[in-house]
Formats: sequence, C-alpha cells, structure tokens
Amino acid sequence: MLTLKNLRVAFGDHEVLKGIDITVKKGEVVTFIGPSGTGKTTLLRSINYLEKPSDGEVMLSDVGIKFKSANKKDILRLRRKTAMVFQQFNLFKHKTVVENVMDAQIAIQKKSKKEAYEKSCEELEKVGLLDKKDMYPSRLSGGQQQRVSIARALALEPEVILFDEPTSALDPELVGEVLKVIENVARSGMTILLVTHEMRFAKNISSKVVFMDQGHIVEQGTPEEIFEKSTHIRTRQFLKEYYEAEEDLAIANV
Amino acid sequence: MLDIKYMLEITPSLLSVLHVTLIILIASSALGLGLSILVTAIRIKKVKYLSQVMDLFISFTRSVPIVLQLFLMYYGFPFLLSMIGIHVSDFSAAAATVLALTLYNAGYLSEVLRPAYLAVEKGQHEAADGLGYTPFQKFTRIIAPQVIPIALPGWGNALVYLIHDTSLIFTIGVADIMGVANTLISSSYGAHQIEIYLTIALLFWAITFSADTMVRIFEKRAAKYNLSNGIAPKKKAKRKMRILVQKGV
Repeated sequence: MLTLKNLRVAFGDHEVLKGIDITVKKGEVVTFIGPSGTGKTTLLRSINYLEKPSDGEVMLSDVGIKFKSANKKDILRLRRKTAMVFQQFNLFKHKTVVENVMDAQIAIQKKSKKEAYEKSCEELEKVGLLDKKDMYPSRLSGGQQQRVSIARALALEPEVILFDEPTSALDPELVGEVLKVIENVARSGMTILLVTHEMRFAKNISSKVVFMDQGHIVEQGTPEEIFEKSTHIRTRQFLKEYYEAEEDLAIANV
Repeated sequence: MLDIKYMLEITPSLLSVLHVTLIILIASSALGLGLSILVTAIRIKKVKYLSQVMDLFISFTRSVPIVLQLFLMYYGFPFLLSMIGIHVSDFSAAAATVLALTLYNAGYLSEVLRPAYLAVEKGQHEAADGLGYTPFQKFTRIIAPQVIPIALPGWGNALVYLIHDTSLIFTIGVADIMGVANTLISSSYGAHQIEIYLTIALLFWAITFSADTMVRIFEKRAAKYNLSNGIAPKKKAKRKMRILVQKGV
C-alpha cells in the first residue's frame, strides 16, 4: 500500500538518506530502529513531505509522487492521506483539546462542526481523555498531550499514521500510557510507521522491524529475526549497547 | 495663577477640531497595520529584491525624525509624482500627513509583527502542514491567532507613538488641535501659553488613555490562551547524562 523507491534526502552536502526502498502492506506496523542521526526521523518526515527529498518516489494507495517533480497539489494529497504524531506533540496551543481534534476535520475534510465534534469525542474517548476535552493543552501532562495528538491523527482516518519518537519527550512514568494507546491503534488495524527507542515495545508490537544505520537500511525482518536471530554485526552491536545502557539506568534508579 | 476659567473657555474650540486628529489617527493606524502586514510578509518570505527594499524602507522610517518625514512627504511626494508624469495640483496637507504617518507606523509595526510571527514555534507550522492544511488555512486558523496575542503590546505602543506624532502635523499646515492652539496663542499675545498647552496636554492624555484601555481589553481577551506547552526541556539529554555518569565517563 505504501512504497518508497530510492528515497534520498540531503541537508546541504550531507546526504542523510542514501536511497531507501521499502514496501508497507495495509495494517502492518513497521518500526524503525537504529542509532541517533541515522535518518529514521527524516525518513518518516519525508513521507509527509516535511522534509524535501532530493530524489526518489512514493506511492500511497492511489497517490504516486516523484519527489523531484512534486507540485503543491501532490504534496497536499499525500499529506492528507497521512498523519504525523510528533515527538513534541505540537498540539495547537490556542485551541482546546476537542478543538485540536476538530479543526482539521472542519478545515480539510469540510465536515460540519457537529459532525467533527462527535467524531472528536469518539476519538478522545478511545484515548481516555474525553473528560479533558475543554482544557487547553498547556494544562495537560506530556502523556496526555501526546494522546490528544494521537486522537487528532485518528480523527482524520488517514491511510497511515507516522509516529516520530512519540515517547521520547515524556517523563518515564508517562511513557506507558502513550504506548498503550499506540498499541490499541495498532490492534485496530491501522497501518503504522513508528520510530522509537523503546525496544521492548517495538518487539511486541511490530509486524516488521527495520534496522537503519548511516542513511541505509541494514536489514529488515520480523521482530524475532532482528532482535534475536540477527547475524548483522551492526544490529547486534546496537542492541547490545542499548540493553547495557538500559541496565545501567535500572541500577541508577534503584 | 492658572486661569482655569480661560482653559474651560478654549476647550470647545479645541474640541471642534479634535475630529481632524482622530480621523488622521484612525486612517493612518488602519492603513499602517495593513501595510505592515504586507511588509512583514515580504520580509518573512524573503521575496527577492523586494525584501531588501523593505529593509531599507524600515530603516529609513525608524531613523528619520517624523517632522522631517512629514515635510518630505508634503513637499517631496508631489514632486516625485511629477517626475513620473503625474501632476497633482492640490496635494492637501491632510493627505500628506496620513501618508507619512502610515509609512512611519507600518515601519514600526513591521518590527513588532516579524518577531511575533517568528515566535510561533516551528512545531505549530509542522503540525498544520503535516495534517494537510493549505498555507492560507494554516495562517488564518493556526498561526495568526497565536501571533496576535504576542504582537498586541507592541501594537499598543505603536498606537501611542502615533498619537504623540499627530501633535506635529500642524507644522505642515493641518488645522488640528495644535494648529488652533497656535492661533489662540498669537491672538492672545502670548498671555495664556501655559493654559493652552496644559489643556492640549490633558486632551492628549485622554486620547492616549482611551487607546490604552482599548488595547488592554484586546489583551485580556487574548490572555486566555496559555501559550506554553508544559514540556520539561531536555529530558532525553538528562537521561543520557545519567547513563554516562553511571558508566563513570
């Protein structure tokens, strides 16, 4: 359903993504892992055209775009089939929780206020925040803000949701509630692309795990293939470092 | 002794020209706001050449005293027009005033609006872009409502400056409060200068006070948006540090 071909992104002279090919089927949960600065986030942002790729193409159901010749109309169509959940939540600060979820439905999908409101309440119920619907984002915890931003994405019924390190900006005690919501979204059959540093979560939730390093896809496979049976030295090294750091953190917290 | 009776006597004749000041004020602040939005847009979008021209324009209006700008506009503008073949026979002082004050106000306001626009976090733009808002939808629904509360205090200041500057328009012959005051002074052979200037000072005080009150009301309305998002900064960095410290690095 989603295909990327030869995706290349460069910041100035520095090439961040060096030709990425990937295919995602409907309902799949694809998780991207790898060291920082490898281009995982850039990959996700390219699908939403928040970064401008220098080459390659994307096909998302009936929309096909060659990045080199993309026009404004193409970009809007692509963006309206995808929804992004950001590391920093990026809720609209001047709108209440329910208005945040409603706004794009009214502006983009041309729904009536009533329709948008009902749909928004439905989605807020799913993330367990209906009782906070009239609050401004600044009054919510990070975890609650992120759950609202997931509701905002869901309300648009996109073909795919892109999660960009959704728990990285959160206090440790708030990570769980957000992961639980993402898990429910995955169970509902939504197609998901996820960048995360929560390895245990990635292992549990993913139908496919992609390990990236230095702008390339090193390998991809089922969680089992990547986390347990990988023969790639870079993958094993990365996972080893991750588990060690986590152990140290556990000791530090005792 | 202060001749209060005289002050009360002259008040009606001063009030009778108050509308001149108010009309010029309202016209140049409204036009100035419109123009400043255009100028700010050109500068933020970095429109080639035009953006540099706008920088020059702002630098000029901010550097040259307003009295000089009034003179330049009154005498220079018809001359400029005649150079491109348009001949204006009666360029009124009031029109010159509105034009000059509009440019001056726009230059100042652009320096208020630009930082206010840039103060809106990048994430707000990205969220709207990512959901598929058109640039116009993004601006009207998401960005502008966040720029306005930030820009309001600066706009209030610009308005107060504009009010003060209208006290200079008599120098090019507009018969406003100050113009009438000068006539009064010369007809009373300089006997009542203090009373006359004090009455005008009180009038300006009243105008500025009403303008301030209006801006405060706007500010109160805008204050309901608490524009902080409550994210503790650099959590990740802290976590990394803790790991490093534990490792003894």
